[in-house]
Amino acid sequence: MRQGILNGLRVLDFTWMLAGPFGTRVLADFGAEVIKVQSAKTAKGAESNLTGYFNTWNRNKRSMTLDMNTPEAKEIILRLTEICDVVVENFSPRVMSNWGLGYEKLKKVRPDLIMVSISAMGQTGPWKDMVGYGPTLQALSGLTYLTSFHKDSPLGLGFAYADPMIGLYAALAVLAALEYRDRTGQGQYIDLSGYEVSCSLIGPTLMDVASNKKAAIPRGNDSDTFSAAPYGCYRCSGEDRWCVIAVSNEHEWEAFCRVLGNPDWTKEEKFSTLSRRRENAEELDGIMSQWTMMHTPEEAVQILQEGGIPAGVVQNAEEVARDPQLEARDFFVKLNHPVLGQAFSDRSPIRFKDASQDDWKAAPLLGEDNRYIYMELLGFTEEQFSSYLERKIIQ
Amino acid sequence: MGCPLENLKVLDLADEKASFCSKLLADLGASVIKVEKPGGDASRNIGPFLGNESHPNRSLSFNHNNMNKLGITLNVEHVEGRKLFLRLLGKHDVVVETFLPGYLEKLGLGFGALSKINEKLIWVSVTGFGQTGPRSRDPCYDIVASAFGGQMSVSGALSTSPLKPFGEQSYTIASLYAAMGILLALKRRRQTGKGEHIDISLQEAVVSALDHVMVRYFYEKVVPRRQGERSWNNTSCLLPCKNGQLFITLFPQWETLVEWMASEGMADDLTDDQWSDEAYRLSHFDHILQVVKRWTLTHTSDELFELGQLMHFPWAPVQSPQEVLDNPQLKARHFFIDVSHPEMDTPLTYPRAPYQWGCSLERRKRAPRVGEDNIEVYQEELGLSEQEMERLHSLHAI
Repeated sequence: MRQGILNGLRVLDFTWMLAGPFGTRVLADFGAEVIKVQSAKTAKGAESNLTGYFNTWNRNKRSMTLDMNTPEAKEIILRLTEICDVVVENFSPRVMSNWGLGYEKLKKVRPDLIMVSISAMGQTGPWKDMVGYGPTLQALSGLTYLTSFHKDSPLGLGFAYADPMIGLYAALAVLAALEYRDRTGQGQYIDLSGYEVSCSLIGPTLMDVASNKKAAIPRGNDSDTFSAAPYGCYRCSGEDRWCVIAVSNEHEWEAFCRVLGNPDWTKEEKFSTLSRRRENAEELDGIMSQWTMMHTPEEAVQILQEGGIPAGVVQNAEEVARDPQLEARDFFVKLNHPVLGQAFSDRSPIRFKDASQDDWKAAPLLGEDNRYIYMELLGFTEEQFSSYLERKIIQ
Repeated sequence: MGCPLENLKVLDLADEKASFCSKLLADLGASVIKVEKPGGDASRNIGPFLGNESHPNRSLSFNHNNMNKLGITLNVEHVEGRKLFLRLLGKHDVVVETFLPGYLEKLGLGFGALSKINEKLIWVSVTGFGQTGPRSRDPCYDIVASAFGGQMSVSGALSTSPLKPFGEQSYTIASLYAAMGILLALKRRRQTGKGEHIDISLQEAVVSALDHVMVRYFYEKVVPRRQGERSWNNTSCLLPCKNGQLFITLFPQWETLVEWMASEGMADDLTDDQWSDEAYRLSHFDHILQVVKRWTLTHTSDELFELGQLMHFPWAPVQSPQEVLDNPQLKARHFFIDVSHPEMDTPLTYPRAPYQWGCSLERRKRAPRVGEDNIEVYQEELGLSEQEMERLHSLHAI
C-alpha cells in the first residue's frame, strides 16, 4: 500500500462510475487503505478493471469481490465495517438500506463510523429517486445554460465536470469528519447531493438572479463580472489555434501597450480607461485578433506574459500532456499495470512541498485483494474461502 | 453537537483565486479572519454586484466567498504591519495566500522564514502555475488557467471559438484541493507536531478535473475536440423541445427509447434491424439525431424529463438560474438560505454548502466590510490599545 498521511485509515468503498471513485482516490493517494467492493456482475463498462478510466480513477486502491445479492453479503459487510473507519457509497438512496446496510445499521457495529452517501439529488426531497450523470446535473444547475454564446443554443462543457467536483466534496467531507472524530471520538453521517454541488459552482450568479431580480444570460467568453478588456479568446496563426488574454487594470493595460510597441490606436480616447475599453470591446477585440493572427498562440502568450500580462494558450490534451510547466513539475506520473502496461496519470494537485511521492500503484485487478481481505482481515480459513468462492459469493 | 472544524483558526490572505478555500472551512465551523490590505482587497471589485452598483461591499462574489469570516485590514508592506502579522500567526493554525511566488519571501514573510518561528504553521499557496517551473511567476486569471488546463479546448463548437466554462471554475477546484490539503496537513501535524507548505496550481487543478480528456489521450491517443451540444462519445446531447432544451442520453436505453417514440408514431426507420447494432448507430449518429429531434420538438422538456425519469433515463431540462432558484427539490432541502445584512431591510439569498451533516452547520454571517473587525481582533485578541490602533492607522499599517 502507498505511504502517506492517511496510513492506518481504512475505507470501505461502494462507489462506482466517476464521482465516487474520484473522491475515494484522493484518500487512496494519501495512503488510506481503500477497499473497493466489486463483483463480476458490476465490473463492466466504466467499472471494468481493464479500462484506462478504471485504472485512472481507482489507482492506489484495493479490490475485493462480493456478490451483494447473496444472503452472506450482509454479514461480511457488517464484519468489514467493524474494522473500517469510513464507508462511502453513491447508490440511489434506497439501495444500502434495502441490503440492511443503512447508516443506522452500520453504526451499531462501528459507533464512530464516518459515512458519506453521495447521490444525484440528496437522500431526501421529492426528486430523491431521480437518476443523473454529471452532465444531467450540469444541465439542471444552470451551468450548461450559461456556458454558451446564446441563450437559445446552449453548448455546455465538453466533459463530465460535476462528477469530479462531487468527488472532491465527498473527500473533503471525509477529511473534515476525521478531524472531528480525532477531536471528539464521534462519527458522522453526511448526505451529499450532486445537484447541490453543481449549483454551488455558480453560487454568485444564483445570488445575483435572486437579489437583483434579473435574468442571467450566457455571454460566451465575455464576463460581466470580471472587469477586463481586452478579454477573451483570440484566433492565432495555425489551424484552429487560439490564445486567451485578460487585461484587467491600468497597470496591465500600460504593460500591454508597451508590449505592442505603443501603436497610435492605443492612445485613442475610446481606449483611454477600462470602462471606455469595455464600451468599445468589440473594436478592441478586432484589433487584438489582427495582432494574435500574426503569431502562434505560444509566441503571443510568451510575448504577453513576459510583459506581465495574463495570457494563456488554449491547449488540447496532447499539448497539456507535453506542457513544459507540467513537465517541470512532474505532473504526469507512471502507473505500471500488469495488463494495460505502463500508463500515465495526473498526480494529485495537493502537493506537500517536501514530500513528493513516487510509489504510485495502478488500479487493482478484479478481486486482487480477496485473500488479504477475507483471510487476513476477516480471518477466513482456506476451507471457508474456497467454499465462498465455489458458491460464487466471492466472485 | 459541535461543528466539525470548530477549533481550526485560519488567516485568509487570498484574493478571488482561493478565498473560497477558507469559506469551505468556515462553513464547517473554522474561525477565519480575512486579512485585506488597507482599503480592501481587489476581489471586492468583481461582480455581480448587489443592485448592479459597483461598490466594495456590494460584490456578490466577494460576499459569497467570504461569508462566515471576520475581516481586518493589514499592510504587509509596512514594517508595523508585518509585526502585527507575526503576532497573529502565533494564534493561528493556517495561512492561505495567493501572491505570486517570491512576493512574501521578499518581505521576509515566506513559509521558510516563518516556519522557523512557528514550526506548527500550515501554509497554503494557491497560484496560477504553482511555486516551481518556468511559468511559476506568470500572472493568471481563471480564463488563463482554463485555457492552459485544457477545459476550453473541449468546450464550445467547431463553428465558434473555444469556450471557457461559466464562472470561476479553476478557483473552485483549486480551493477544494487547498482545503483538503489543510486538513491532511492538520492530520500529519497531530502525528509530527510540524506544519507543511502546500503548493496548489490552478492549472493542475483544472487538468485533474477533465473527465475523459487526458485518459483518452493517454490510452487511445485521441485528442478530443470541442463538439458543441454533443457529448464527447456521441451517446448524449442537448436537443430542442417545444420549450427549451433537454439533456438526453440515446444509447444506454436504446430499445425503450425507440419503443416510446414508435408508440407516438415518431420512430421513423429506427425500428429497423440494423439500428440495434451500436456500432452502426454510432456511425449514423446524424440520422438518429434528426429523428429524435423531430420527436423531442413535439414535447416540452419537462414532460420528457418526468416520463424519462420514470424509466430511469438520466435526462434533464437545461435550466436557467431563475429556474434553479424555483426548483422544488432544492426548495424541499432548503438549499437556499437567507443571510441577514444588518444594513439592509431584507436578507439576501445564498446557496448553502452542498452537504448535510449530522451536526448543524447553521452559521450565517455575511462577509465582513473592509476592516470591520479590526477592533475585535487587534484590541480584544491582541490587546492593542486605542492609541496604538490610531498610530498604526495613521501609518497605513492597518
